Amino acid sequence: MLLALLLCYGGFTALCLSMDRHHADVLGRKPSARRRHVMKFGGWLLLGVSLWAAVCATGWGLGLVEWFAVLMLSALLLVLLLPYRPRLALSLAVLSLLASPVCAVLM
Amino acid sequence: MKEGFRQAMAWLHTWTGLIFGWLLFAIFLTGTLAYFKAEITHWMQPEIPARTLSSEASLTLAQDYLQQHAAGASRWLIDLPNAREPGLTLRWQQAPAEPGKRGQFTKKTLDPQTGTDVQGRETMGGDFFYRFHFQLQMPYPWGRWLSTIAAMVMFVALISGIITHKKIFKDFFTFRPRKGQRSWLDGHNAVGVLVLPFHLMITYSSLVIFMSMVMPASILAAYKGNAEAFFDELFPESNRPTAAGQPGQLIPLAPLLERARAQWPEGQAGSLSVNNPGDANASVVLERDGAEGVVHDFGRAVTFNGVTGELLSTTPALPVPMAIAGAFYGLHMGNFAGPVLRWLYFICGLAGTAMIGTGLVIWLGKRQLKHAKSGVMPFELRLVEVLNIASMSGLMVAVVAFFWANRLLPVGMAERANWEVNSFFIVWGLSVLHALLRRGRAAWVEQLALAAGLFCAVPVLNALTTPYHLGVSLVQGDWAMAGFDLTCLGSGLFLGWAAWKMQRAGRATSVPRARVRPVPLEREAT
Repeated sequence: MLLALLLCYGGFTALCLSMDRHHADVLGRKPSARRRHVMKFGGWLLLGVSLWAAVCATGWGLGLVEWFAVLMLSALLLVLLLPYRPRLALSLAVLSLLASPVCAVLM
Repeated sequence: MKEGFRQAMAWLHTWTGLIFGWLLFAIFLTGTLAYFKAEITHWMQPEIPARTLSSEASLTLAQDYLQQHAAGASRWLIDLPNAREPGLTLRWQQAPAEPGKRGQFTKKTLDPQTGTDVQGRETMGGDFFYRFHFQLQMPYPWGRWLSTIAAMVMFVALISGIITHKKIFKDFFTFRPRKGQRSWLDGHNAVGVLVLPFHLMITYSSLVIFMSMVMPASILAAYKGNAEAFFDELFPESNRPTAAGQPGQLIPLAPLLERARAQWPEGQAGSLSVNNPGDANASVVLERDGAEGVVHDFGRAVTFNGVTGELLSTTPALPVPMAIAGAFYGLHMGNFAGPVLRWLYFICGLAGTAMIGTGLVIWLGKRQLKHAKSGVMPFELRLVEVLNIASMSGLMVAVVAFFWANRLLPVGMAERANWEVNSFFIVWGLSVLHALLRRGRAAWVEQLALAAGLFCAVPVLNALTTPYHLGVSLVQGDWAMAGFDLTCLGSGLFLGWAAWKMQRAGRATSVPRARVRPVPLEREAT
C-alpha cells in the first residue's frame, strides 16, 4: 500500500503541475506546452502504475479498495498542503518518487 | 436548456442538503466513529483485558464453562476472541416456555486466558454509535426508515452536486484559504470531489444493505407475501433441528476448528453455535469470520453432528447476486480492514462529515450576507443557525460527554448503560438551548472550546479513574487503549484550533459591523 501511496502522490502532483494556474502558483511561471504534456502523461502513467502496484500486492479485491483509499488520501493531502506549504508539497512529491523504487525493491 | 437543468440541480442540491444536512451530519459522524467500534468498546470496558490467545484454548474454556453453567440450555452461542475484540463472549438460550416463543438469552464474557467471568462495567460502548447511525435511537423500524430515507437524499444530493459543480477537473486541486465564503465553497468541493468514490460507495451500499426493507416488492411477489420464506431459503443454516429428548455426550469442540479450517482455504471460524447441547440430536455450526475478505460472507458455515462429530453440511460458495450484495456490505462495514486501511476509512468518513458540515455553513453564509448590514436575522435564518450549531459543535460535545459519563458514572449504578446514552442526549439537548440563548458566533466558539477542552482532558480523566493511562497502555502495547486517548487529544487540539479560528474571524468581521450598527438606529430615531 505504501508504494501505491507514493506513486499516487507523485502522479497527482505531476497532474497538478500540468495546469497553468498551479504551475505558476508553485514555481512562479507558466509551463511550456511540452512540459505540460509531459507532466500530464507522466501523472496519468504514475496513477496507472500505482493501481498495478496495489493490485499486485494484495490481489484485485483488497488491492482495488486500497488503491482507492490511497488515491483519495494522496489527493486530499496534496490539496491541503498546496495553499499553505507549496514547497513542502513539491519536495514530498520528489521524495516519494525517489523512494518508490526503493520501496518496490524492498517489498 | 442546459443552464436551466443545472440550475434545477443546484436548487435540488441546496434544499435536499439543507433539510437532511443536520441528520446526515450526525449519521456520518457516528458512522465514522463506528469504524473504531471495537476499540471504543475496549476503552469503555477497560476491565476486559486485551490478550491474544489461540482459538482452540478459548473454545475449550468456553465449553467447560457452558457445560457447568448452561447444560440444560437449548442453544449455546460462542463468539471467539480476535485481535480487535479480546473478550470471549458466551450466550445461551433457554428452551422457550411455550412453543413458538423465543427463549430467554443469558450473556457472559470470559477472560480467554483464565476462563473466569469478567465483570466489565455496563456500557454500550462503540456499539452505541454503530446502532445510532442507522437506528437513530428510535423504535424499530422508524429509525431504520428515516436513516434509509436520509441515505436516498444523500444520494440525490451527491448526484445533483456533481452536476451543479461546473469545473470538476479545472478546480480539482483548488483550495484557497482565508477568503471567507470562497474558501468554504472550495473546501466543500475539495472534500466532495476528492473523496467522491467513498461518498458514492458508502451511500449506495447503505441502500443495498437495507434493500429488502426499501424494495420488498420482488421478494413479496416471488414468495407470495411471505418474506420469512425468502430468508429461510437464503440462509438455510438458521433452520434448527429439534431435540430428540435423549441424552447424548457432546464431543470436544476445539478440534472442530481445525476441521472447519480444512473446508475454508484461508478462513477461520469466528463464532460457533451449538444446538441442543447434551441431547442425542445435538449439532454444532461453525460460522466463518465474515471479516476476512472484502466480500462479506453471509452465514458461510459448516455443520457437524454434536455427538458423532460427523460432517453434516457446508454452505456452498455465494451465488453471484449475493456476492455482489456481500461486496457492498463488506465495503460499507470495512470489517476486513487492517489498522492502516481502517484509519483511511476513518479519514474518508471525516471527509464526508466535513463535506456535509461545510455545505450547511455555506447555505447560511450566503443568505446571511444579505442581512449583514442590518445585523438582524430573519427567523428562518436564525433557526438554521441554531440547528447548525447544535448539530455540529453540539454533537461533538455530546460525543465527548458520552465518554466522560463512562468514566464518571459509578460502576454499580442501576441502568448504567442507559444513563451513558442519556447523558449523550441530555448534553446534545442542552447545546440546542445554549445555541438559542447565545449569539451565533459566541455559541460556536463556546461549544467548540468546551468540546476541545473535554476531548483534551480525556487522557487525564482516564489516568485519574482507571489504571490504564497512557504510560501503561503505551508500554504494554495496548494500541486500542492508547490510540483512543491520543485520538481524543488530537481531536481536542483540532477543535481548539477551530474555536480559535472562529473567534479570530469574528473579530475581523465585527469591526465593520460596529460601524454599521448606528445607521439603522438613527433611521429608527428619525
